[in-house]
Amino acid sequence: MDKSTIVCRCEEINIDEIETAIKNGAETFDDIKRLTRCGMGPCQSKTCFYPVNEIIAEYTGMPLNEVSLPRLRMPLKMVRMSTLAQDSEGSNVVSVFGESVEDGES
Amino acid sequence: METDILVIGGGPAGMSAAITADRAGARVILVDESFSLGGQLRQQTQHFAPLPGSEEKVRGTALGNDLIKKLEASKVKILKKHIMIGSYRNENIGVTDGEKTFAIQSQKNIIAPGAAEKAKIFPGWTIPGVMTAGAAQILINRERVLPGKNAVMLGSNDYSLEVARQLKACGVTIKAIVEDKEQMISSDMELLHDMKNVPVYLNSTIESATGKEELNKVVVKTPAGLYEMEADLICIANGFDPIIEPFEIMGCNLAYHKELGGWLPEYNVYFQTSNPSCYIAGNAAGITTIGPVLLTGEIAAIGALEELGFMEQEEAEAQRKELWKELAEIEKRENEKTFRARSELIEGFHQKIGMAFPEEFNMVNGGAHNG
Repeated sequence: MDKSTIVCRCEEINIDEIETAIKNGAETFDDIKRLTRCGMGPCQSKTCFYPVNEIIAEYTGMPLNEVSLPRLRMPLKMVRMSTLAQDSEGSNVVSVFGESVEDGES
Repeated sequence: METDILVIGGGPAGMSAAITADRAGARVILVDESFSLGGQLRQQTQHFAPLPGSEEKVRGTALGNDLIKKLEASKVKILKKHIMIGSYRNENIGVTDGEKTFAIQSQKNIIAPGAAEKAKIFPGWTIPGVMTAGAAQILINRERVLPGKNAVMLGSNDYSLEVARQLKACGVTIKAIVEDKEQMISSDMELLHDMKNVPVYLNSTIESATGKEELNKVVVKTPAGLYEMEADLICIANGFDPIIEPFEIMGCNLAYHKELGGWLPEYNVYFQTSNPSCYIAGNAAGITTIGPVLLTGEIAAIGALEELGFMEQEEAEAQRKELWKELAEIEKRENEKTFRARSELIEGFHQKIGMAFPEEFNMVNGGAHNG
């Protein structure tokens, strides 16, 4: 396929950029994300996650089930900052963010 | 906000779970991101059969409306236009209505977010006129908008052919079905018959999709060479994958099972995930057909009800046995591989956590083990 084909439409990242990231040592979706912004747009990798993992699998020869998942974070859907920041009734002042447990990457 | 059982997702599985839980006397909150319940049934005008307890064909939209009526007549607290956006440290679920964010404290959660359509990339897949088959179906059946006049279907599964048939009924010309495998995926005689005059390109891919402001040319790469055709619509039907985000946020273990759609949470015979407070239902528990989708909702609800003491163990076991029997029957009939993969997932999870198989599961699962 033409290497200029877009994979992550939110951030307009193409196959060439992803393969370059892999050449530079990226092994997971998150590695590619950090190097290229792939998967960091509005859809938060909901669309490009499988195509990217397929490219990793194809390029590295790793079976698809061994290519790890992107780290999914809150908020799960697009939401206004004001909605999260608001100290509304029934909610702790500490937002969902504040209490989110980040156990780090393995 | 506080409740016994929180159901995430108001599609067929979530609605089925909520109705079952309400019937047993539990307090139930149902959260759905849309302004209308029904999930994907809202645009599914196709007929479905078999359904639990019935061989009669029912339109998806009618089935959805029927479930909505039952829900609205129940005591279930329905939160439409509410989105689960995360969880708190104490496992309360964070929900927003777009204005404010609040926590819902529940004893058990039944998470039924459904599935997403898998993307398929090719040069030009991001230009206007290229969409998933599901998007095209929403446009024609819900929004009453014709997405194009000349369509190319990418993928030949049942869903692709079903949407092609519906587009055709709206006056859209189906220019081609493009399939990268060596034969059509669908084996549905009725659908195949309806598509008999449509050119099918096997072992083929879309080489490029081009157009100035919107799609107008599609080049298909076939073993016999390149074919160029005029089209203003490409429908991508590349199958579905379970939605896993809410499960990952809740700390549920995930596993990869190709036949079930890819990555999905592990669960036991009660449809309980590795997080004991979270049950799973519907297509998130493995891509399947509408009958099993409804049944998984009921089985998950019964597990939660039993744990919370809303249902006696004996009663729960008896009901679960019947539901599993029906699930096995329908799923084996419609897609044997799916049932086998589901059995493998469950069995693997039971082994991993050292949990015994209840008798009812050994019975329905026997066939899958022996053959």
